[in-house]
Amino acid sequence: MIDLRNLSRRGFLNLGVAAGAGLMMPGGLIRPALAAAKPLAPVAEKDAVIAFGHTGPVTDEGWTWSHDQGMKAVQQAFPKLKTIFVESIPYSADASRTFRQFVSEGANMVFATSNYGDFLYDVAKRSPNVAFFECDGRHPMDNLGTYYVAHWYPTYVTGIAAGLMSKTGKLGYVASFPVPSVYSGTNAFLMGARSVNPNATLQAIAINSWFDPQAATQAGTALLDNGCDLLFGIMDEAGYLQVAEKRGAKAVMWNTDIRRYGPKGYISSIVVDFKKFYVEQVRQRLAGTWVPSTPILAMGAGVDRDAWGETVPEEVRKQADAARDKILGGWSPFTGEIKDSKGAVRVAAGKTMTEEELYNWNWSIEGVKGL
Amino acid sequence: MDLITGLLQTSLLAGGVLALAALGEVLAERVGVVNLGVEGLMSLGAITAIATVVAHPNPALGFALALGVGLFAGMIFAVATVYIRANQVLCGLALTLMGTGLSATIGKAYSGMPAPATFAPVAVPYLSKIPVIGPAVFSQNVLIYLIYIILPLALHYLMFRTRHGLNLRAVGEDPAAADAAGIPVQRIRFWYVAAGSALASGAGAYLTLAFVPSWSEGVIAGRGWIAVALVIFGGYRPLNAVMVALLFGLITSLGFVGQARNWPIAAPILSMLPYLGTIALIIVPVLAWHKMRRLMAAPASLGLPYFRDVR
Repeated sequence: MIDLRNLSRRGFLNLGVAAGAGLMMPGGLIRPALAAAKPLAPVAEKDAVIAFGHTGPVTDEGWTWSHDQGMKAVQQAFPKLKTIFVESIPYSADASRTFRQFVSEGANMVFATSNYGDFLYDVAKRSPNVAFFECDGRHPMDNLGTYYVAHWYPTYVTGIAAGLMSKTGKLGYVASFPVPSVYSGTNAFLMGARSVNPNATLQAIAINSWFDPQAATQAGTALLDNGCDLLFGIMDEAGYLQVAEKRGAKAVMWNTDIRRYGPKGYISSIVVDFKKFYVEQVRQRLAGTWVPSTPILAMGAGVDRDAWGETVPEEVRKQADAARDKILGGWSPFTGEIKDSKGAVRVAAGKTMTEEELYNWNWSIEGVKGL
Repeated sequence: MDLITGLLQTSLLAGGVLALAALGEVLAERVGVVNLGVEGLMSLGAITAIATVVAHPNPALGFALALGVGLFAGMIFAVATVYIRANQVLCGLALTLMGTGLSATIGKAYSGMPAPATFAPVAVPYLSKIPVIGPAVFSQNVLIYLIYIILPLALHYLMFRTRHGLNLRAVGEDPAAADAAGIPVQRIRFWYVAAGSALASGAGAYLTLAFVPSWSEGVIAGRGWIAVALVIFGGYRPLNAVMVALLFGLITSLGFVGQARNWPIAAPILSMLPYLGTIALIIVPVLAWHKMRRLMAAPASLGLPYFRDVR
């Protein structure tokens, strides 16, 4: 009954949510329209407490680091309010305890920068006067919004560069778990690559972790040993970039600019930036106009490709950026006909996938192997 | 050819972390002390190595300092468990918590920095020309030779071929009898536990200097616990412990290669392989042959503090 493929990016360990997520499956209203919730009362800046709960250490140079930059931007924009954060919160009852602690410390707004599911909902239900936001969440409530990034667009753009730069046409992907973020990553990347090299394929290896430098290194090595010459993945660290650099291969990364780990191998990165989003949400909360919303931050407004690596040829940059401009202009590359890995047509010709479908993508396109 | 060479090469690299840590644990457990601080010691070693090479880009110095830090931390642990005779399990867990916490705190300044100097591969003349095995086994960094050849052979000789080795095994089997025979039980326990801790810390240094060349919090990712388990599977013997670690590395790599080559086995099954393989290859023979059970048995006084006055 539990469909593991529909667990969200971080919430994999949280099987408690799995049942709920499984029931919310295809066709149904995945993000039910919020009832017109009343805005929470305004808060004076000097009295406000804004809390952040992170899944990893803020020094990870990746996912959590990006969110921490967002918190620092909030502090800078509203110097009189107080920000508090806890890092490396496990997906367990300890998470509830941490969020409850935030509330008892007087937090007016709590951001969970990963999917904590039920551990967060319990606390949110009991604290109706506190605003909650859950990254990659799937169950908005009267005082709880969800947010995520449309990473599939910049992934498609870097996929074009990958397709042009790979000599063998075999791309490698270091995956964490078979979850929607991974499916949309592998699929968008290969679709980008196939738009310039129709014979490109993508081989994925799941290492069952978001953060395990040793396993990611081994996975990257195994992929390169078996014919891939370009790596992509969804890791919170730079392990496979260092492998690519050493072996003279190329890599596309996630979260932040980490080209210093492998300046020659670095093509680009799917960089996330939550600064504007956090500042705006906090501003609304202080002004007393905040109501929960469920945004997926678009390319150019929270997620984008990083500046191209030094070894990316001018011609490649131009071609990839042309697609980026088209997407920014409203074009969607995720338009049928799209077949799944078994050859069945999943998106009919001419039909464009909705943001909802992209957010919950749970099948592999033709050419993706290993998921 | 390439497949086997590549597989063997990564297996050696991946297994090296476990092998060195397991060797350290063999030392401690052979004299009767369970050291559950391996995970913490490895973290300390990993950050010490990175901090050293950032200040002074010499990997050998980084490795040496990591050994020193491990030795020091091990001495603290040994004072608590051998002389004060505190509970070994609790002290070990405390050492793990302290090690991971301390390294995370120190590591804040070093995260996001690629290691400026690492151990480069050294090709052994003639041997590295052997087809298939040569490039995989004899073109590795110096630590690999140390971990797989020099250390285990030296430790095996020391433990099973010298009088001193007999003494140290006696300390782990029956400290009262060893004491009666005039062997300085506590001194031997103290130094072997400290030396074992140094090796565990060295395993962390190996990780950041030769395998994953950068520091990030949680980089050890539970390998310390696996090393402790491998010692049991390896029958508390240095050669066996290294073989088991290599086997573990090999099966782990096989899992990744299997996924990369798209073998028709589900990925979760491939991820389970190292554990299933260890069970199949180590535990089954022990269950099947009675003699193996005795050979692979733990030292009789493992985990028990020694009180001379109540013997």
